[in-house]
Amino acid sequence: MKLDRRTFVQFSLGSAAGITLSPLPWKLTDDIAIWTQNWSWVPVPERGEVSSVNSVCNLCPGGCGITVRKVGDRCTKIEGRHGYPVNNGSICILGESGLQLLYGPWRIPSPLRRAGKRGEGIWEKISWEDAITQVVQKLRALRQKGESHKVACISGPNSGTVSQLFARFLKAYGSPNFVQMASGRDTEELAMGLMHGTASPVAYDLEHASFILSFGSGLIEGWGSPVRVIKAHSIWRTRNLKERATVVQIEPRLSRTAAKADNWYPVRPGTEAALALGLAHVIVKESLYEHRFIDNYTFGFEDWTDSSGGNHIGFKRLVLTKYAPEAVSQVTGLPPRKIIDLARKFAKAKRPLATWGRGKGSRQGSLYECMAVHALNALVGNINREGGICPQPEVSTRTWPEVEQDEIARSGFGMPRLDGAGTDRYLHVKYLPERLPQAINEQQAGAVQALLVHEANPYYTMLDSTAVAEAFERIPFVVSFSTYLDETAQHADIILPNHHCLERWEDFHTPIGLQKPILALLRPVVPPQFDTRHAGDVIINIAKRLGGSVAKAFPWKDYETLLKWTMGDKWNTLEKRGFVQEANYKPPAWEEAFKTSSGKFEFYVKALERQGASQPQDIRCLPHYKTVEPEGDHANYPLTLIPAESIRLANGAIGNPPFCTKALPDTVLKGNDLFVEINPKTASNYGLSEGDSIILETPKARAKVLVHLFEGIMPEVIAIPSGLGHTAYDEFLAHKGVNANKLMGVVEDPVSGLSATWGARARIIKV
Amino acid sequence: MDSALIPEGVKRCSFKKFAIWIGVLTIPTLWGIYAALLCWGKALNQTNLNDNFPFGFWIVADLGVIALGAGAFFTGFLRYILKIEELKNIVNFAVVIGVICYASALGILGIDVGQPLRGWFIFWHANVHSMLTEVAFCITCYFMVLCIEYVPLVLENRRIDAYRFFHFLSHRFHQAMPAIAAIGVFLSFFHQGSLGGVPGVLYGRPFAYRSGFLVWPWTFFLFILSAIACGPCFTLLITWITEKITRKQLVKKSVKETLAKIAGWLLASYIVLKIIDTIYWASSTAPRVGINFKSFYANQPYGIWVLITEVGILGIIPAIILITKQGRSNSALLILASFLNCAGIFMNRWIMTVQTLAVPVMPFDKFASYHPNWQEWATTLLPVWIGAMVISLSYRYLPIFPQERELNPA
Amino acid sequence: MKDIHSEQKTYKFGMVIDLDKCTGCGACMVACMAENNVSFRADETDKLRSITWMRVYKMTNGLPFPDTEVCYIPRPCMHCEGSGHHRPAPCIAVCPATATDRDHETGIVSQIYTRCFGCRYCMAACPYHARYFNWWDPKWPKGMEKYLNPDVSPRMRGVVEKCSFCYHRFQRAKNKAYAEGRREIREDEYQTACAQACPAGAITFGDLNNPQHAVYKLKNSPNAFRILEKLGTNPKVYYLSTKEWVRRGVDHYLEEEAQD
Ligand SMILES: Nc1nc2c(c(=O)[nH]1)N[C@H]1C(S)=C(S)[C@@H](COP(=O)(O)OP(=O)(O)OC[C@H]3O[C@@H](n4cnc5c(=O)[nH]c(N)nc54)[C@H](O)[C@@H]3O)O[C@H]1N2
Ligand SMILES: Nc1nc2c(c(=O)[nH]1)N[C@H]1C(S)=C(S)[C@@H](COP(=O)(O)OP(=O)(O)OC[C@H]3O[C@@H](n4cnc5c(=O)[nH]c(N)nc54)[C@H](O)[C@@H]3O)O[C@H]1N2
Ligand code: SF4
Ligand code: SF4
Ligand code: SF4
Ligand code: SF4
Ligand code: SF4
Ligand SMILES: [Mo]
Repeated sequence: MKLDRRTFVQFSLGSAAGITLSPLPWKLTDDIAIWTQNWSWVPVPERGEVSSVNSVCNLCPGGCGITVRKVGDRCTKIEGRHGYPVNNGSICILGESGLQLLYGPWRIPSPLRRAGKRGEGIWEKISWEDAITQVVQKLRALRQKGESHKVACISGPNSGTVSQLFARFLKAYGSPNFVQMASGRDTEELAMGLMHGTASPVAYDLEHASFILSFGSGLIEGWGSPVRVIKAHSIWRTRNLKERATVVQIEPRLSRTAAKADNWYPVRPGTEAALALGLAHVIVKESLYEHRFIDNYTFGFEDWTDSSGGNHIGFKRLVLTKYAPEAVSQVTGLPPRKIIDLARKFAKAKRPLATWGRGKGSRQGSLYECMAVHALNALVGNINREGGICPQPEVSTRTWPEVEQDEIARSGFGMPRLDGAGTDRYLHVKYLPERLPQAINEQQAGAVQALLVHEANPYYTMLDSTAVAEAFERIPFVVSFSTYLDETAQHADIILPNHHCLERWEDFHTPIGLQKPILALLRPVVPPQFDTRHAGDVIINIAKRLGGSVAKAFPWKDYETLLKWTMGDKWNTLEKRGFVQEANYKPPAWEEAFKTSSGKFEFYVKALERQGASQPQDIRCLPHYKTVEPEGDHANYPLTLIPAESIRLANGAIGNPPFCTKALPDTVLKGNDLFVEINPKTASNYGLSEGDSIILETPKARAKVLVHLFEGIMPEVIAIPSGLGHTAYDEFLAHKGVNANKLMGVVEDPVSGLSATWGARARIIKV
Repeated sequence: MDSALIPEGVKRCSFKKFAIWIGVLTIPTLWGIYAALLCWGKALNQTNLNDNFPFGFWIVADLGVIALGAGAFFTGFLRYILKIEELKNIVNFAVVIGVICYASALGILGIDVGQPLRGWFIFWHANVHSMLTEVAFCITCYFMVLCIEYVPLVLENRRIDAYRFFHFLSHRFHQAMPAIAAIGVFLSFFHQGSLGGVPGVLYGRPFAYRSGFLVWPWTFFLFILSAIACGPCFTLLITWITEKITRKQLVKKSVKETLAKIAGWLLASYIVLKIIDTIYWASSTAPRVGINFKSFYANQPYGIWVLITEVGILGIIPAIILITKQGRSNSALLILASFLNCAGIFMNRWIMTVQTLAVPVMPFDKFASYHPNWQEWATTLLPVWIGAMVISLSYRYLPIFPQERELNPA
Repeated sequence: MKDIHSEQKTYKFGMVIDLDKCTGCGACMVACMAENNVSFRADETDKLRSITWMRVYKMTNGLPFPDTEVCYIPRPCMHCEGSGHHRPAPCIAVCPATATDRDHETGIVSQIYTRCFGCRYCMAACPYHARYFNWWDPKWPKGMEKYLNPDVSPRMRGVVEKCSFCYHRFQRAKNKAYAEGRREIREDEYQTACAQACPAGAITFGDLNNPQHAVYKLKNSPNAFRILEKLGTNPKVYYLSTKEWVRRGVDHYLEEEAQD
């Protein structure tokens, strides 16, 4: 026994020494370290042949040229395309994140049919054959019942032809209810159509302006074509000190744009038009306006007499009598001195420019406000000339043959539009998307029996989300053409997933706000990653399967054929170079510029005489200020809520990709909780400090949010980040924060019927 | 049952009682092991550490525990090199405590680093300019020295000593002890200093940064001095706790007072130098980079009270108690002073680590605060339980206290 | 003794960021993430555990409404030069495993992920918070690993990472130049992902030693400054601003110190 133990001890010691001195432990140690450097769960990106493909980004209206770096058949990076006229090599945060959208788990892998309750997220994978058959059967049945007009389509396409295909489909099928999603360009088109005679969005020569007066435009928050505008911003900052442009931002909140501006003039939310007219007052009174333009090329500046001898007041008298600095100061909260000063600086600048469209310009807004801002541009004569504005030009393409409707189509198409656009009440507008949910909810019988949604996410982006949800409940058959599982797709019955924009052909027309027209081409950079189909092909296929005159309206084999045909002689250049630009385009001179009935720029818009409205006629035809009152009374809702838009947060149809969400500062989100901005003064009235939890309530909804104290917001105003509060997508986006659209109702612009919502009345309760 | 293993002539509790005691200690030990496994298995997101606080409780514990462990080398230094013979009655225990402290430090580091399995790169790819490299080399070597110092204690166990070979080996070790102690002293002086260098060289962190002598910032010297001032007190504190638990006197009062006196004078000189250092830093080092030192204390919980507590309550007070004869001869005061002294060291290490990181350097940066979470507490306390077990085992089976038989006649 | 590297062309790459132009848009942050395979998680709101090699800070002038002003400050790694051999960049000096070092050819402060063992001493040393620790295993949702850039290795948990000035792009440019028989690379051949993406053109990148490069002139502008210059970290990232409060706001000043 004793001997055994001794042997054991000796053996143990001996082997311990032996092992230590042998290479074994050292080898093992090394192997273990190497193992930690090659964990199988850390991916090793595959190598492959490197190539690059040029295309166009359509994730927002910016239309930047992109170069996609590929390794083998993988896209590894999206970069701005060098030499591209819009962005010349630069790119924005969203475009940069595009590959997360391409390869993300939020892609819809194949056609899906709802298997559970609406919105429950239970889906059954079906074949394309099945999916299209079901849609065709439904549409055919409605047509046979004479209910073709009860099919509606909401589109927000990123290029002319695909959206137009849907419009054409509805026309051939027999429904007037084709609607495009709301955006600021709707109001611009209307204002330009009325004052200028050309119903186009406004194109701004930002690069050459020397004084930029922005009425809340988020110039560096994604307004217009975002990269292009930021580049212009840098030009303003680059010129030598004498030449440097001055930027003045009018906005209740110190947005990024306000922060970068030379002067920030906070005004009470919604009073921008009053300020514009107050500035006009000073300019007119001090005779600082451009006399050559005003005297020769405008109508309605001075008082005038019509052919039947009636006397009418002109713009001059209106602003001189009603918009004196003191009066405007009362409304806006800006001291009279500052108003006078600003007006003089603006009018005396070499190339002054006033911009319109709050935030990203993605909301519609008040027509008179838009007109008031453009009246300012007219006063300084910066229309159709360097550093000024002009109607946005387009590169022309081949026009499709007229649709030949059969009897059903004719009668269905002839029915009144649900949203009322184009009726006497809303004479000048094409679409009133924000009116649609209300229209559906107000009609007892199912006004819409089937809804097609293409490249839009109305369930999330439309104002008054509760009403939108209710409207969806009332539509028995919803078809989504979405690429991603967004809220609208989540509440659809059938999903016919579209290719991602890096997987498809498509045309892209002049990005918003550009003065030189461009026609560009999106091309398949990679083959489809999932069992998806081009929405253009699918709608053509549906038409063909419906047969008869519907099929006949689509004489093209497929979308690609149609696209080539439409692009005509431009196709070859498009395919080779990616875009066609009319770089030498110049807007017409003042003599030929205006297509209004007077042939001049109209301060007094005669076309508005016919518009039935409560205002006296003269006021109705002139840019003027009338408060657009959000719902709710001041006593119950003493605070004002405004949306805060940020370029780091996509708030349109595209959900914010994970990289963008990661780039949000910690004053926007904390876990899943959203911060709202409150001035410390207001907060102290409520006994609130940083990070406190509050209930934010508007007449539309209530939400639990956190307090972020910010000196840069006007007291009594609360700003809520716009673009969060998704319920669809995935763990990287869903259930983070609150959807700002839920808290704001639709406030109809009295004259146009567009949504003039700029915020909401609100109250807060500490919890 | 285990009587054959118990040293001759001393009384120990029953094996059953001992087993229960060890069993009780096992419970928090398992809790600590569980926390350590979480940190290794799920990575360091299991802690409250973050990019602002890359160092936290663990590093504080490391710095603290190594300072407290300084009792081993310093008592050895006094005993074997300065030949203060009296201290032979406590040096064994100091060694046991030292082994535990250093093993704890290494163990905690093994959890703290993000890639423990390649921790040895610190030796393989050593950067000689890094204070941490110096620390790693010295601590590792010194830990080996401590083990070598601990081995003869183990060999003195009755059963082991019965083997001629081990008896002989033990004798040899004892002969070599002064040389080993000298190596230990050299290594210890260096790594205690290097630990002070860790914050002191951070010239990007004005709160910690100190000018200095050649390549050594003043904190290098302050850390050495503070460690040798508190190490002996920690030995006294643990001895006192052991005496309370065993309900026996194990070391003579005179021995304790000798150690306390030395610690007291060291602490006093440390505090004087610390005050000079603070004044120089506040009036010269910090202003040179544009900082008014008061701004370092602008955020709670790191207000100026921190400085007052550390230097005043936990420095000057125990120093006064320990250097006055009346103070240290009063057992209660002696223990209080020892405790304050040790707490002061911990506070100093916390401040030099956590407050250094908490003070924002970029003026537009936000202040953030840090507190350890349960995983950090559990793992940091793990050595306490294991240490208690090691002390219990050592006390039970090894003749750690030469005066025990004399003070507790059968 | 002859410098063994004297055969090689040496550069001192650096950046100048114009804060008048920077809009705080964050494109540089994401360009960097996309280029350098930076991982992301479902919840990235804890910015103290969120890896952003390029981070855009927001600085305010501290005045109440309506005099509040805001400036955005993009912060990559400063690639500190320190002051010579005995005082290199704060992080280089402290790394015990030489996992981070100054590249003699480019001046770039490197980071070797596979050597780093995650002690985080470098993070404690860096006053700019430019270093990030991998608190989690990086994970990409299924399918998303397809976009990963093969020129940059994804990191494992437990190591520190930071901006590399897109070093792989330098290597790519150098290989190309050598293949074409050139010793020197052109300014436009090596640009970082953030500089390239920035819609404002706020970031200029190049060789600070080369008078032909744009950064050379810009860094000598009277409006040029660096963050925490007084610490002596000697960063290779410069900033421009015409605003006094901005230039002063990035460093510490005693009350009695005169305005510059
Ligand atoms: N701020 C802001 N700017 C935006 C937007 C925004 O939401 N906000 N939207 C942006 C987006 S997403 C886009 S896609 C662009 C839109 O830009 P465009 O696609 O240019 O849109 P439209 O002005 O509707 O022009 C479509 C063209 O198709 C022509 N067309 C109409 N019917 C037919 C037809 O049957 N056949 C053919 N061949 N042509 C036809 C029209 O005459 C017109 O020239 O604007 C962008 N600009
Ligand atoms: N009357 C009329 N109506 C139209 C049209 C028309 O021609 N006439 N055009 C229609 C068309 S073609 C379209 S596509 C729809 C547009 O409809 P939507 O697809 O809803 O487009 P927007 O609301 O403009 O959303 C684009 C979004 O991109 C995001 N975004 C922009 N820039 C950035 C950025 O830099 N970063 C991040 N993170 N996000 C950014 C913003 O959230 C912005 O809201 O409008 C349609 N409405
Ligand atoms: S601005 Fe718009 S179009 Fe341009 S890259 Fe960004 S998302 Fe794409
Ligand atoms: S991309 Fe340019 S403008 Fe945008 S935050 Fe970065 S540096 Fe500033
Ligand atoms: S900024 Fe920080 S990480 Fe970069 S070199 Fe300087 S100290 Fe190192
Ligand atoms: S964390 Fe890595 S890089 Fe940083 S000091 Fe430690 S080993 Fe070096
Ligand atoms: S230089 Fe490269 S690595 Fe550094 S921040 Fe810019 S993109 Fe990122
Ligand atoms: Mo579009």
